[in-house]
Amino acid sequence: MSLDAVVTAIQQVGLTLIVIAIAVAALEGVLYLLLVRGLKTRLATPLMLVAPAFVGLAILIVYPLLWELNVSFTNMSLRNFRDPGFLGLENGMFVGLDNYVEVFTRPVLQLTTFWQLLLQTVLWTVINVTLHVAGGMALALLLHRQMRGKGIYRALIILPWAIPQVIALLIWRTEYNNEYGAANQLLRMAGFDGVPWLSDPFWNFIAMIITNVWLGIPFMMVIILGGLSSISSEYYEAAEMDGANSRQSFRAITLPLLRPVLTPAIILGTVWTFNNINVPFFINQNELETSDILVTALFRMAFQYNRYGDAAAFAFVIFIILLVFTVFYVRRTGSLRGAYE
Amino acid sequence: MKNRYRLASLVAALAIVVGACSTGSSSPTAPAASQPATSGAPSGAPSAEPTEMAFPEGDFALTMWTKEGEADGSFQFNKKLTDAYTALHPNVTFELVNKNVEVLREDFQTASLAGDAPHILWTVADHIGPFTSADLILPLDNLVDRATFVPAAAEAVTADGTLWGVPMSFGNQLMLYWNKDLAGDAAPATSDDWIAAAKSAHTGGNVGIAFNQTESFWLVPFLGGFGGSVFAEDGVTPTLDTDAMRSALEFLYDLKYTEQVTPAEADYDVADGLFKEGKAAFIINGDWTLGAYSAPPDGENPGLGDKLGVGPLPTLTGGEDPKPYIAGAFLMASKAVGDDADLQTVVADFMQFASNKDNQVDIVQTLKRLPGNAEAIEDPIVTGDPLLAGAAEAAQKGVPQPTNLEMRCVFDAMTAGVRDLFTGNNDFAGISASMQSGSESCIAAL
Repeated sequence: MSLDAVVTAIQQVGLTLIVIAIAVAALEGVLYLLLVRGLKTRLATPLMLVAPAFVGLAILIVYPLLWELNVSFTNMSLRNFRDPGFLGLENGMFVGLDNYVEVFTRPVLQLTTFWQLLLQTVLWTVINVTLHVAGGMALALLLHRQMRGKGIYRALIILPWAIPQVIALLIWRTEYNNEYGAANQLLRMAGFDGVPWLSDPFWNFIAMIITNVWLGIPFMMVIILGGLSSISSEYYEAAEMDGANSRQSFRAITLPLLRPVLTPAIILGTVWTFNNINVPFFINQNELETSDILVTALFRMAFQYNRYGDAAAFAFVIFIILLVFTVFYVRRTGSLRGAYE
Repeated sequence: MKNRYRLASLVAALAIVVGACSTGSSSPTAPAASQPATSGAPSGAPSAEPTEMAFPEGDFALTMWTKEGEADGSFQFNKKLTDAYTALHPNVTFELVNKNVEVLREDFQTASLAGDAPHILWTVADHIGPFTSADLILPLDNLVDRATFVPAAAEAVTADGTLWGVPMSFGNQLMLYWNKDLAGDAAPATSDDWIAAAKSAHTGGNVGIAFNQTESFWLVPFLGGFGGSVFAEDGVTPTLDTDAMRSALEFLYDLKYTEQVTPAEADYDVADGLFKEGKAAFIINGDWTLGAYSAPPDGENPGLGDKLGVGPLPTLTGGEDPKPYIAGAFLMASKAVGDDADLQTVVADFMQFASNKDNQVDIVQTLKRLPGNAEAIEDPIVTGDPLLAGAAEAAQKGVPQPTNLEMRCVFDAMTAGVRDLFTGNNDFAGISASMQSGSESCIAAL
């Protein structure tokens, strides 16, 4: 990294920041004139505050989503590598719902079908979220009491969350090396044979889970710890007076009162794990299709096989799956009604 | 609140100061005097003497993406080349960016769609397939003189009779390297000799044969050695479920599980590291590592020096000579270059400069790669060097790598099969059948 490269990078970033600052200032100016001076609405302040974020989301998320939806109705690929325009109608690239149908009827990658990938993804998500919640709960309960050095333990447990994820994954991948990785060296020291973490389908899946659990427990622990802190001790005192043991208190008091905190955390955890491309991508170094989940298969379909139209349709199928799950979960469990009704 | 406004103001001021300190990337410079083109007439007709023409005026800031990395000094060679060209033509500057081969392909496709593609690529021949399918690169028949290149090298980047790249190095073939301290001085003549030598060396923490067990590129020579090929004669129908493929798979399986002369698990970096550290008797690797492996042991990037042996892969018992793919490194121009006549002239001129005899001899001396220039490959610097002679012998046994779009599907299908094989799966028929159906399925979806 030379000084020239650093200076060039700062210049480019600085220029971009200036442009953004000017654009935001202009937007706020227009909104002020419109909402404060013109309409004199009481919503002026909140609207002015959220406007830059809204514009940013519209540019960075909404517009690409709409473009992707557009591409999903076309046969854009390397053989048809051009801007499709509106639904590909002008360029003869329009294929209607063919891409959506092919997601379910043809192998997504070389041999793996959508259904196999869905099963792998559900398995991956359920195992990870279960272990995240269980592990996070256990650690949170351990830390939610008077003890010496609590701050240090908390800091150490949060450390995986603090390390940039890609760095952590590259290190984990190295440690899964059959001959030179720490995992197998420890196993051999304990008298076991080494495990082919990167080349065997079963063990590679396990390796992915181990890594993701290590990464995900801190988040869940922090959320649950916050929830535990908000539960009044009077409930536990009352329960103790009524003769309840710790297990009964956990079931009758802790869990219900944690539900408003746990529910969004589980929903978030499920969506993030379902969509987690980093861990499977980096740990599945050998691109085993048995270790692919929906989003990694989507990535490879788009950027390795250049099937852009198919990939766009596939992306929306995944989006709809997650949307249905979220709506169903919230309605079915009624979890967001709150535990005080 | 007041403190937050002060902080925000400070940040804004800092950004403005940084932006104001920018000298800008496009400050005007005095236009260079018009100079004759340096390296020959860019015409399809072979010519003995270059035709002088006026070099375009104005500033040209060219972007070149290169697959060459710093580890083996090849990126530095790229830089030397572009700096030398800038010294000849001060109005032409280069921004040189290194990208991994796959990243280069993906990013070039994306950048082309966005209208922001680099002007020049230094990349591999098999990118011809996706780039010509997507119409992203410029045909070069009218811009460079094909007769200056090694015919086989030019053929590697010819599709439908059109030249799409300028060969910078020719070869890219897999060959056999050996550590003479562990494997002896002489090259093994047959695979039986080879395995016997590997077994003797596979002891005391050393391995007999190291190679990348995760990529199908390392399967290809043995497929050819057993009489197979990846495509039928039409060049697009995959032929992976064949006796030749099953024999090749069995041969590799035996190396690892029956003869037990390979590491338990090895990707490219592990194999390369083992050999450089002197812990592998043999390695199957490409000619691109010849420079690194032959470097003196006490140098900045130590290699094996005089202990290195190089030659083609030994003849297979019950088969033929293995047939590695040959390709090389090539310059390509993005399609957009053709929209500007002056820019096109500059890019063509640079390509001819980079591929002239002097620079090609330099690539031999610096990187130990076979040149793509027809004169340079006859130079005593190639013919008189035993290591390069070994590399050239290996290249002669190779076959041109297919560059069509279907090849990607074939490579990916074979890679999945190879990885399955090295988990201990000895159902060779099942693996070859999976490869066949995987490649067919992928090709059907292209």
